[in-house]
This record gives sequence, C-alpha cells and structure tokens, in this order.
Amino acid sequence: MSRYRSTVFVMALLVWTGLLLTPLMWSSRVAAQSQASSRWWSAGDGRTLPATLDYVNPDGALGILNTAGPIETKGHPFFEPIGTNGRACVTCHQPSDAMTVSAASARERWRETDGKDPLFAAIDGKNCPNLPQDDPASHSLLIERGLIRVFLPWPPQKADGTRIDPEFTIEVVRDPTHCNTDPQYGLTSSTPTISVYRRPRMAANLKYVTAAAFGVAPFIVKNGQPAARDPETGALVSMNMMADAREPTLRTQAVSAAATHLQIAGQLQASQIDRIVAFESQVYAAQRMHRGAGSLVEPGGPPALGPAALASGSTGTLGNNTTRFVFPMGDGWKALPRTGDAATDARNASRESVARGHDVFFFRTFWIRDAMHINSVGLGNPAKRTCSTCHGMHMTGMDTVYGWMDTGTTNLPWARESPVSPWATQVAELPLFKLTCKATVAPHTFLGRVIYTQDPGRALISGKCNDIGAIVMQQFRGLAARAPYFSNGSAATLRELVDFYDRRYNIQYTEREKEDLVNFLSTL
Amino acid sequence: MAISAPQLGGQSPRRVNFVSCPIVQDTATVPCWLSEYEGEQYYLGIQTDISAEFDPPYLGHQALVEGIVSDEPRICGGIVLKPVTVSPLPELDQSCSVIRPAVPQFTVPFAPRPPGPSGGRLAFDPPSSSTADLKPPYGARSFDVFYDVDMLVMGRHAGQLTEIFNYAQKIPGARLKIVAGRGATKLSNGRVLTEREGIAKARAEEIAELFVGAGISRSAIQSIWRDEAEPADGIDDWRSRRVTVRVEP
Repeated sequence: MSRYRSTVFVMALLVWTGLLLTPLMWSSRVAAQSQASSRWWSAGDGRTLPATLDYVNPDGALGILNTAGPIETKGHPFFEPIGTNGRACVTCHQPSDAMTVSAASARERWRETDGKDPLFAAIDGKNCPNLPQDDPASHSLLIERGLIRVFLPWPPQKADGTRIDPEFTIEVVRDPTHCNTDPQYGLTSSTPTISVYRRPRMAANLKYVTAAAFGVAPFIVKNGQPAARDPETGALVSMNMMADAREPTLRTQAVSAAATHLQIAGQLQASQIDRIVAFESQVYAAQRMHRGAGSLVEPGGPPALGPAALASGSTGTLGNNTTRFVFPMGDGWKALPRTGDAATDARNASRESVARGHDVFFFRTFWIRDAMHINSVGLGNPAKRTCSTCHGMHMTGMDTVYGWMDTGTTNLPWARESPVSPWATQVAELPLFKLTCKATVAPHTFLGRVIYTQDPGRALISGKCNDIGAIVMQQFRGLAARAPYFSNGSAATLRELVDFYDRRYNIQYTEREKEDLVNFLSTL
Repeated sequence: MAISAPQLGGQSPRRVNFVSCPIVQDTATVPCWLSEYEGEQYYLGIQTDISAEFDPPYLGHQALVEGIVSDEPRICGGIVLKPVTVSPLPELDQSCSVIRPAVPQFTVPFAPRPPGPSGGRLAFDPPSSSTADLKPPYGARSFDVFYDVDMLVMGRHAGQLTEIFNYAQKIPGARLKIVAGRGATKLSNGRVLTEREGIAKARAEEIAELFVGAGISRSAIQSIWRDEAEPADGIDDWRSRRVTVRVEP
C-alpha cells in the first residue's frame, strides 16, 4: 500500500474511532454495529438482518429499515455467494454504506483481508483482470475511489443482441488501467470492449427508483427515443436504475449482475430472482442521526428525514414545487430558540443550518448552462433555475424518470482531471476517451463534434452523440455513509461535490451557503 | 444547410425571418429571450417549463427566427413576435454568448412559472390530444411532425410521437406511411436557407426506426422522402421542415 493510501486509511480510521469515542448518545445497537468486524457483511456469513439497524458514520449515523422485519440471511440469494467468485450481492451493497460500498470500506476490507476478500475479484474489483491480483495498485480505483469496472461491448447492442450503429467513433486517449488497450480486454480485442469505472448504486429506497409514473411515456421526453419496457410484462419502465439505464428492471439487473459481478455458473433461478427483488424492494436507508443536529427522526422533525419517511413516502412524484417539495423539511428547524444551554444551542444552530441548506438547494437560482438533457428539454440554454430543477424527484432528488443528463462530471472540460505539468505529482487514474460525432449527424448540442470524456455514460448503450457523458442521477439519500460521490467517485466529500457544482455553473455560493448545503446533504 | 443568393419575391411586411444570435435578458423573475436583426431587437419568449409552446433557444448557437411582428407592447425592450418559431442551428457558435443583467425597466408581465420550484402545477396545461376522445371505427389520420433546421427528432417530439403511436395501437393491423421533407426558409434579406442534403431520408428512416423501437412491426411501415426542398416564400416556411405520418387501417 502506498504511503498516500496508508495515510488516507489511517485518517479514516481515526475519524471513525474518534466518533466512537465521542460522547454522543448513540444506542448500544449503534455502537455494536460500528465495530469493524460486524459492519462488514461477508457473503454467506449467515447473520440475521434485523428490521432496523444503525451504523455510525463521520456525519452521525445511518439508519437501515427493513420493512419486512428480520431476515435470515442464511440461504438468501442476496447474501449468499451464489456465483463462482465468492461474492454475494451484499458484497457491494453493504448495509453500513447505505446499501452500496464506500471507498473507506473497500480500503478497510483490503487491510483486514490483505486483499483476499471477494470484493476484489479480478473480473471487476480490479482495474483490469490481467493485472497482478495481490498488488493493491491493481485495485486502486476500488480502494481509493470505490469504483467497480463496468465492461460493455462496443459497438453497443440492443437487448436482442443486434448491433447499434453508433453516431460517433471512439478512441482511447489515456489508459492508466491498461484495460481499454489490452489485446484481450480492450477495444481492439476479438470481442471489442470498453471499460469504464463507476460507483455501485444504492440497493435501497428502490420503490422510488423504479416508479414509473410522472413523465413515463412510450417516447422519452428528453430525446424522443422509444422508452424501455419490462421484457416480462411489456410495461414502460423508469430507466432510472443504473448509471447508463442499460437494465430495465430489478429482475433483469439481478440476472445481469449475477452473470458479471458474481460470475454465476448458469443462470439465476426464478425463485432466487424473486427473493432478491423482494429484499431490494423492502429495504430503506437514510441518515437517522446527525453530528450537529442530533436526532433526525424526532416527532415533529423534518418529514423527509430518516428511513421510515422513505418507506411511507409517495413514489413517482415530482417534488420541484412548493406543494410537495423534493425533501419536505417543514418549518420547525428554521428559527430555533437559544436556551443558554451550550449543547442545545449548538444543536439548534446546526438544525438551522440544515434548514438553510435545504433552501439553498431548493430556491437558490443560478444559470444552468450547457447541460445536455436539461437545457435541451424546453428550458433553453442557459436556464435560470435551482438544484431542484434537475434533482426533482420527491424524497430522493433523482430525476423522476429517464434521469440521464450531462452535468459535467465525466465530460471535459468540467470533469475532475489531474493537473499535467512538469511539477505535478498526481497521475491520472481514469481512462480518457476521444469521441467524434460522425459528419452524418448533428454535433453534440453543447460540446460540438469532438468530445473528451472519462465515461461516455448513456452513449455506450444508445450510441447517440447527445448522450455522451450523460449519467443517470443517483439518490441523495444516505450520502454521509457512502463517499465518494458522482458516478466516477470524483468528489471525495460532500464539500467537494458542492464545490464541483459551484465551479461548473459559476454559482458563486457564499461560504455559509456551502456549509449549509453540506450540512443539509449530510442529513439525508 | 445552405444559403443561396437573394431571389425576387414578395414578403409580408409584418413577417421577419432571420438568422442571428439569441440574447438572454435577465429579469427579477425569469429571463426573456431576444434576438437582434438589422438594428432592431425582437422579443421571442420567456423561460417557463417543459409545458410551454415556446422552446427557448441556446446560447452557443445561432438561431433561425421566423415570426410575425405583433402590435403588442415591447417586452424586455423587444418588439414582440407572435407567433414565432425559433430554431437553433446545429453547429456551435460561441459568439452567441450574451446574457444581459436584470435591470428595473425590464419586467415580465406574464410569468406563469418562477425560476425555481413551481406552485404545484406546470406553467401551461398540456396540449389536448387530438385523438384521445375518438371512438371506433378509427379512420386514416395524418400527423405532421415539425423539425428544427437540419435536425432529427428531439425531446419535444416525444408527446407527438406518443400520440401517433397510441392512435396506431387503436387500429388492429394499422399501417404507417411516412413522408419526410427537406425544408427551406426565405429570409427577410431575400436569401433562402435550405436544409442539408439527405436530411429528408434521415428523418424518414429515423421516424420509422423509432416506431419499430416502440413496438410497431417494421413491415407495417412505409417510408418515402423528398430530397428536393420545398419552395420557400417566407410565409410559414418552418412548415417545410416536416415529416407527415399517416396512420391507415
């Protein structure tokens, strides 16, 4: 492990340990679940998953709510290593990490197992399968940024296997993982493949992600293309589940994930799929306790907060309005008394900051510019709007449906890149591709004909020039438990996330607005 | 797209057709969209939301403006064009970058949607379907789909494609006949802006592919296209950038 990585690990451990020693009134359940050994759910460890669980994180504690009550995980296909590489679904969808896996947990797992945990399976837990398995550098993107390799055929294929003629050509400009130029795994292999690196998504709160209500139609309102359907029922789907919307349903995703991530021999049985989908549909994750604001689920507190609020919330609802709100917070935290008691006053000040942060998210306007599938869908370029324009789904902050858009997280010039100079010590971690829209089609509306990107996103599935770098937005829930952020893990902290948008759209947030926004996000 | 030399021909004095950069004029509420032509400033519309008929253009692109000069009071300093069709041109033009700051004298008299969250409804009621209330037997029906210059289907076409698709679904064994055109617009300076060669074929093929992707049998679709641009006379020439889909029993 490099000195840098060791330092990061030690710092994470110190933060964690410090929290455990902080005299907060966590329940014994929280403390128990905060021990490293019990935080991690190994494939097949056979524990009972209780109906509720809390996990300490640097911003407080995450709550997990399983609405079906305790689950015996022994024999459960979500928790058992049903593939050939020792992984289970839970390997990358850890309850402590809001049902995904954080970079901190990956680092901790490497340290605890000396890299032997199935999390680090060669297929996609390594930067490229042909790299040395025991070298942590081979897994650097997972350990440092929480990224899993996603490998996709090129050119793209439809669900029936027929080839799509893409509107652009693709070249590998930079290949730090050596996978895209590898003769076996790369673009020039006998089965041309593109590897991109993405954060696993939350396997929780999925009734919102899969809801097909507001905006669902046979043709997609963002680009006029036919919308995907459930292959079993023919029903239209939200296309909101994966970063590139390539899987239409939880069932198809389970089958696909078993084949790739778990390397299952054969296929999932229907009964296994049923159990996986049932579990994913009944588990909710959200922050329950905040380091400054205290309990987020007190009676009379903000109605949006905590996992129980998610379990009872309405789905398929546009919340970018003052009748439903994206995250209903109520007015209870807007102006709180000062009591003279230092602890109470500090808590009240923190709650007021959270409330202000909500208002920054919801009401603070700025010019949204050159964002594909936002500025191109009836708002004009630029559009004077707010965060909640894009992050409009009630209770999650996703787009209600068809949620891919290019906010600049993977496309240059906005994507985070390492500086290149004679004095720079950082090296690029992610691949870089040059995509050229063919002369027979219109150029990308906002980026022109030649686009450099770390991840072409939806375009790797659709083949469309205007989809380059468009990524389906993620939930805003459980954020404190699952750094880093964005699909490519390019924001290590919530503050970096806020700073990214501040740069991207020249928002010119004040320092207090940034602090309030971070506090608000860390309560979700 | 190509622009030919000026041609003779009459033109309504109350129409203006020109290519120019759009301009954003901010206000205390939502921004206005303007454009300038021959020293005059024209008001195109305001930012609202996806329900609006006016689809604001893009900075970073010139736009073809085809409008009728109204006698309404100026808005944001611009002569009001009503109706107006604004079509961004596909190629980037970074000289189109002007955002004017809000000033007290420019206010928006009609702002059904603030620049942030709505009051619980979209700015406008969705357009009523022309076919939803029809009763069987369902007869042949034609639908016109209009395009931006040199462009294919975009997000704003989704509603119309859905209406065509839903109508076709009502008719067992329905057949779709797609006729695609190549548009041309006579500009106020006498020049003619003609869409690129091959656009009609591309539109016909794309529309057919979209309906196949939505579930209509390829064998039920016939596509033809006319690559000769329609004659342009400066009057509603935006209608020439069109695909007509005829649904037949």
